[in-house]
Amino acid sequence: MSNLSLSTLYNQTSLRFIRTFIIWLPGAVVALLWLFPLYWMLNTSVKPDRLIMAGVDLIPTEITWEHYRTVVADTPVIRWFVNSIVTSVCVVAGSLVLGSLTGFALARMHFPGRSVIFWLLISSLMIPPEMSIVPLFIGVLRLEVQDSFISLIIPPLASVFPVYLYRQFFLSFPRELEDAAAIDGCSRIGTFMRVALPLARPATLAGAILIFTSNWNSFLWPLLVAFKTEWKTLPVGMAFYTRLDIQGTSTQSGYGEAMAAVAIVALPTLIFFLILQRYFIEGVTQVGIKG
Amino acid sequence: MTHLADRAAPDGWLSRLSRIRYRGRRVDWQAYLFILPFALIFIVITLLPIFFGIYISFNEWGIVGDPEWVGLDNFREAMQDDWIPKVWGNTFQMAALVVPGTVLVALLMALWINREQWLSGPIRTAFFAPHVVAITVTAIIWIWIFEKETGLLNLALYGIGIPKQGWLTTSKWVIQSISLVTIWQAVGFHMVILLAGLKEIPAEMGEAAVIDGASAWQAFWRITLPLLTPALGLVITLEIISAFRIFGQVYLMTGGGPGGHSATIVSYIYHEGFVRFRLGFAAALSLLLFLTILLFTLLRARLVREHSN
Repeated sequence: MSNLSLSTLYNQTSLRFIRTFIIWLPGAVVALLWLFPLYWMLNTSVKPDRLIMAGVDLIPTEITWEHYRTVVADTPVIRWFVNSIVTSVCVVAGSLVLGSLTGFALARMHFPGRSVIFWLLISSLMIPPEMSIVPLFIGVLRLEVQDSFISLIIPPLASVFPVYLYRQFFLSFPRELEDAAAIDGCSRIGTFMRVALPLARPATLAGAILIFTSNWNSFLWPLLVAFKTEWKTLPVGMAFYTRLDIQGTSTQSGYGEAMAAVAIVALPTLIFFLILQRYFIEGVTQVGIKG
Repeated sequence: MTHLADRAAPDGWLSRLSRIRYRGRRVDWQAYLFILPFALIFIVITLLPIFFGIYISFNEWGIVGDPEWVGLDNFREAMQDDWIPKVWGNTFQMAALVVPGTVLVALLMALWINREQWLSGPIRTAFFAPHVVAITVTAIIWIWIFEKETGLLNLALYGIGIPKQGWLTTSKWVIQSISLVTIWQAVGFHMVILLAGLKEIPAEMGEAAVIDGASAWQAFWRITLPLLTPALGLVITLEIISAFRIFGQVYLMTGGGPGGHSATIVSYIYHEGFVRFRLGFAAALSLLLFLTILLFTLLRARLVREHSN
């Protein structure tokens, strides 16, 4: 009798375990599939050509930095890297200043036109950036600012995202803190600088990370305004390595270098993401759900 | 003395200004200073270019020489151009794969992560990781995976007896291949939005339904999905917009080929505007792109409204 119930219990536990496992397994398999292309990039980038052509080998038996050296020798990668870093850092700094000021006013200050301005900003999100690309391009040519940081940095500053991010954050900000600051004799700008901004650290971090990544990865605009090789950003410059094998004529020998080249583009944001992923996810969540 | 009196003067313009009320509260005039820097950039970079772009689309506008007013010629040409049905068709085909594909996969991933099982954290990281790399990275990695002779995909398929395919070089597969790459990169972002939506749903609601005798499946259809509608609506709208704007992967992976079979609206705009420098025509195409996106997002909003009624 007791034996029987024990075996039923055993069966129930193992059944539950199997059910859990059956639900768990597909997620794990898909996760591996999703990571695999990135792993394959790194894998190919450190294998000698001989092994790349020999076919699939999941763990490289021989490691070489040859491809990375070739990429550095063949392309002005350092210059492109500097262009990308300077552009992204300036856009992050500028966007955070503009976004926090505007977001604060839209969330915490009382003035005629507030809701109209907010509505205007939000509805501009419905308009694809391609609409303004031709006029901006003409403007860049007329002002002769192609091949310069001006054309790389200024247009991305018009992004509504940081404004929205800060507005959402400041809306949840308790009224009492502002009142306390006012009693202590803080002006509006004082409240903003000494109370609101320090408290908005999570929004600032999430914003910085997301703005940095999206500018680092930006493609169409930098492609248009860089006429000279030395003004390309990293992703635009490395597009050189697509001129490989799309016609089906086999020249696999270039793939080691191509993978090293894109690894140089990918690693900064990937490492950044792995360290700070909590803020990435918080940033996306803020924008998504509070909207 | 006078100085002090000035300050206290009840009729100074500054103090009069500070007493102006709007909807029962004092107006915070400083707000306009807070907004000014961004407003200037927004007007110059976003607002004016939109109207200027509409103006350009009525002109023949090259990179040199003076623009010439041509009225509706650019739009008339667009109606007769053989490429227009082709690039719009290709883009629709990609959107038809990418939008449902991304939303469905992102939803499954979000539901899976939301169960908080073993290794949930690292697996969520894996799903999101492709979203943080540049399109150049994505495109070149997948060119290599799709490579005909020694690419991973063909080697794997060959291993199970399927003949090698030219994934990016034949009209049969090119749209599917580019859509797959697009989905791979996009799902992580949408998964996070849906996950946040799921977290807002109180767990007790599902439990209560199950206790009331509903199966897990019924609980999902009757409770989880309806409560997730706002997040799903946002994800679908964002995905429609980005699917109609597919450019980088096409530009980098196929250049629109083979024979224009993967050319999209934006890659055609790029080609007309920035390779052939027909800026007026490109501006007209951009306007048509905007109207297409507008139509589909409105349609989406309408469908959801009818569905929830």
